[in-house]
Amino acid sequence: MGAWAESVQVCVFDMRRGQQEGHELDKILFFSPLDCPLPTQLSVVGLSEGLITFTRIFSPEKPCQLMQAELHCHIFFNCEPDIWIVMVIEKSKEGEEEVRVAAIEGMLKEAHDLFVMFFGSIRGMLEKHPVGDLARSCLHAFFPDYLAEFMVGKKLRLPSIREGLTERGMVEPVNLDRDTFLHAQSLVGLLESWFGGGTVRHTMLLFHNYLVSSTLSAEDTARLFGYALLRLTPAAISLSNRRIKSASMSAISAAGQSKIRNLLNNGSAASSQGPSSGEEGLERVTKKHPRPLKPDGWWKEVDNFLATDAWESDSREAKALGPTIWLQHSNEQMRLCVFQYRTTTLIILVPTNSSVNGLDGLSLLRGHLLEKGAQKMQKLEERLAKEWKGINASHIAGYRYLCCDRTGKTAKASPPSKVATLSKESLAVLNLVRADIDLEKGRLERQASHHDADLEVCVRTKQNAWLVVRARGGQELYTVQERAGDTLLLASDAVEKLSKRHFNGHFYSD
Amino acid sequence: MDNTTVHESHSDIEDLFDEEEGERPCYLSDEEHAESVTGAPAVSSSEMEADNVAKLSNLDISDNTQEESQVHEGGSSHEISETTPGHQGEEGGRSNDPKGLELGDGDGSAIATSSTTDVGPESTDSGVLVTDVVDGDTLSEDGIQESPGSPSSSREGTSGYLAGSGSSAASVCSASGVDESADRILNQESTRPTRRSWVPGKRHPDEDDTSLAWRKHKKHFFILSNAGKPIYSRYGDEHKLAGFSATLQAIMSFVENSGDTIRFVKAGDHQIVFLVKGPLYLVAISATEEPDEVIRCQLELLHAQLILILTKGVEKCFVKNSKFDMRPLLGGTDMVFSHLIHGFSWNPATFLRAYTCLPLPYAIRQAAGAALQDMPNTGPLFSLLMCGSKVISLMSPRKSSISPNDILLLSNYVASSDSFRTTESFFPVCLPGYNPTAFLYAYVQYLDSDTCLFLLTADPDGFFQLKECRGRIGTILRQTNVLAEVANAVRRGGLRVEHLLETKASHPVLDPKTSSIFGSDGDHELHGSAGVPREGTIGIGGPAGLWHFIYRSSFLDQYVASEFSSPLHTTSAQKRLYRAYQKLYTSMHGAGAAGPHKMQYRRDERHVLLSWRTSDFELYAAFDPLADKSSAVAVCNRVCQWLRDLESEIFLLGATPFSWCN
Repeated sequence: MGAWAESVQVCVFDMRRGQQEGHELDKILFFSPLDCPLPTQLSVVGLSEGLITFTRIFSPEKPCQLMQAELHCHIFFNCEPDIWIVMVIEKSKEGEEEVRVAAIEGMLKEAHDLFVMFFGSIRGMLEKHPVGDLARSCLHAFFPDYLAEFMVGKKLRLPSIREGLTERGMVEPVNLDRDTFLHAQSLVGLLESWFGGGTVRHTMLLFHNYLVSSTLSAEDTARLFGYALLRLTPAAISLSNRRIKSASMSAISAAGQSKIRNLLNNGSAASSQGPSSGEEGLERVTKKHPRPLKPDGWWKEVDNFLATDAWESDSREAKALGPTIWLQHSNEQMRLCVFQYRTTTLIILVPTNSSVNGLDGLSLLRGHLLEKGAQKMQKLEERLAKEWKGINASHIAGYRYLCCDRTGKTAKASPPSKVATLSKESLAVLNLVRADIDLEKGRLERQASHHDADLEVCVRTKQNAWLVVRARGGQELYTVQERAGDTLLLASDAVEKLSKRHFNGHFYSD
Repeated sequence: MDNTTVHESHSDIEDLFDEEEGERPCYLSDEEHAESVTGAPAVSSSEMEADNVAKLSNLDISDNTQEESQVHEGGSSHEISETTPGHQGEEGGRSNDPKGLELGDGDGSAIATSSTTDVGPESTDSGVLVTDVVDGDTLSEDGIQESPGSPSSSREGTSGYLAGSGSSAASVCSASGVDESADRILNQESTRPTRRSWVPGKRHPDEDDTSLAWRKHKKHFFILSNAGKPIYSRYGDEHKLAGFSATLQAIMSFVENSGDTIRFVKAGDHQIVFLVKGPLYLVAISATEEPDEVIRCQLELLHAQLILILTKGVEKCFVKNSKFDMRPLLGGTDMVFSHLIHGFSWNPATFLRAYTCLPLPYAIRQAAGAALQDMPNTGPLFSLLMCGSKVISLMSPRKSSISPNDILLLSNYVASSDSFRTTESFFPVCLPGYNPTAFLYAYVQYLDSDTCLFLLTADPDGFFQLKECRGRIGTILRQTNVLAEVANAVRRGGLRVEHLLETKASHPVLDPKTSSIFGSDGDHELHGSAGVPREGTIGIGGPAGLWHFIYRSSFLDQYVASEFSSPLHTTSAQKRLYRAYQKLYTSMHGAGAAGPHKMQYRRDERHVLLSWRTSDFELYAAFDPLADKSSAVAVCNRVCQWLRDLESEIFLLGATPFSWCN
């Protein structure tokens, strides 16, 4: 079960471009599917722009976010000033109620966050290259790979009610005892001290899909963590079934290639040039820029370092630097180095200009890490593996839950295998309640006196399950109890106990 | 109606509108008024009306209606001949005169009407006035045609849809008998200049979409045709909003052209809800935190209100001419829509799909029911006795059913104009839930300042029969003391949460003395004198911090709501709670996989809300935000028990069950 869209279109467009009649195509920076006919693309952008302009009459600060029609749904994300990402979903007959708009907004936000992490802002690119070719080619190097993550066969699987107890853009920390935590700290301290300090600017340590430690800001941690889950964790690497291969174009259909070329030609009308010349265009796009989400783009070498061919680029400089990311917090570009020992992944960020005695800082660091850090890493991994209680470690009997901390961007939740035991009806109610709380939070965010939601909602479903949600001080706890007894008080007390035992009593009530 | 009455009615209606959304009625300056009355646009609009009437004259509504209308032709004239006994021979002759009917037909009629009113509001020529009357009645023969007679009044900005409901106003006055009637018409005519300075129903008529103030209104409603012609806007002048209407139409048509239908758009705190009803587009733009489902229901009601005035037959006009201008047909009915829209902020009947009753001793309600029941077989299809928006009794001798929404729309139609208070009225009306394609005929008269009697028949000639029925019902109601008890009940007010506390404190719940809201021996001790709660109960709410509740009986399709008491004494607090109830009701009635909920508890910084739904009833209760959960649950149980004890007084038992047509 899941929300399967019959078809999905994604469009990135800039409202400042293509103002003159006949130049509308210049607005479009990216459109998926790539083989979508141009009149359809223009129609999507035209309607979207019309709705944005219209809603600005009444809501200038926060224009159109969502348009629901009988058969389609347009979800708008204003990622940068006047730059919009719009997802058009054709509803499947039974899937309508399963889609939660905020979850899809979260998906679009994640896409943009990752894009900015690798390429910088779209507006920045457009300012540097007003013709728009740079922004278009980077978006084309990134978006199809991102969307491919959600594709199963030819259909795109949207966040559905099954993911009601997950939250995109959050980090799930692992529970550590004090000694293990000190071991992790000691490793981080050691790395940062090398070469007189400054070479290792930041580190992030993961165990399986959980965060052990990070020296980055909460936002940057969440972004890099999101990327690690997609490409760097042992689970992601094990899915990569390749070692060293030439770049694959499989993610992009041949039929759409001529359209890309047309877009690259500054929005001129569709030409009749055949697919062979279009392929050249695509080659140009993908060769020119890194594809950080390239499928199978990362693999593990024998020395336990992860290697990638996703950053192959026409630019010598970019090629020499290898994988890099931009930190939002400090607006610095960092080189990425990943070391993975069994289930533990160490991500090291090194400044792009780092050099030690005129030698490349990163190369020296790799040698140093193998020599002096590998053993420490090995010990830490052993401790973590010993301490870890398995994939169901976060399970609390009798509850299915999700606890999010919006400030720290961390989340703790029941394991997916346990959430899967919930009835469809409970999940559907959860979806509705979450949508309601999303609205409430959105409203509070827009208020001048911004404050966090403080509320409690308890719902008894028609099948007698209890759904209890409590929000306080930027934290939210969602729980589903399918055997909580008949009364509000019993269900509520059960959540009170959960709050006391596992969340330091943060969600106390009454 | 003298000037004093007019002024009184101003203040009455003014009170209806809350200040929060700037719903103050507007007053036109004399200059503006002069323009609207004597300016060139009036002439052109009369031409337009004439054109529409000509087009409408070929309109088929339904077989039924047509038949009725044929009969009605004679009926209306008969009505007039009967209504003014003093001039019976003369006026009856006039209206039966084929020339008189011709006057009331087609182009000539409309132009004659408008010229009558435009040129001579001060005219005292009874002949002209009778022509006006005949015109109204004749037009009403064909349901839809009855309205074109009205635009003259709407353009004047006079008594609103008073004349728009057409014949009603005209026949009303003439039907009230004796020579006075003619005088009254004359008086009405002579007072028109005064009334013209007030534009009923329309708020901020000078605004349009370019003005910031217009954009800042919290809730807009628009009705437009699928060709983009504005039909109604809650705020601003429809003519000035033509461009805005065209934009709305463009958006809707753009989506429609792709084989889809736009439902709603969300933008920050605003949401835009669209409803397509055949050739009509209804749009709400709101920043009121109401769920889109609620706003959609409101648009459905707005559409149903329009159908109540015109029947679905109006859609055929658009089939014939897509650029058809419907505004003249609705001339002057702004007040009906604005009154309904105002009800969306305070009247739970607008979202509960249920009606509420005036609390009355069981015997009194029985007596009222008996009075309504005592009808000949050929009598009314429905008899309804109401007090404001509350039902006293409801009878359907022929076991037909009337839906709560029809009751809401009908009472809204009547309540939105003071003109109904002063005279008896007989007018065509369509009950969308009963039959959206045909007119019924409603006889409406206020029996006293509070109590209004509605008698509905399918017979366009039924005026005199219903008038007779009214006479009989009125006599019985007086004899059985029903009207006096209704007045008492109004004075006393509804249930108060404080009384639950007293009930608990001083008596066991089942004590027969307190199991009636009227106390023992008919005293009104519990309520204090004149409906004012006793000292000490003000401001404390009910037990366990209970502030308010709504109880809806699923079997009866009726609800009862407690009176607002402190701390819900401000309009904004009441409106906030009302909207929270709307939201709660919507979530409790979820469809799809989630289905309806059985119970819900919701606490935020404003209040604690508890809702409980069984197969028999739904309870929605509001508490202080600090209320203890277990006490709140206990109090909800007590409320239910209390209401069950009071059932025979607060509900109309044994009414015909409703069928859901919409």
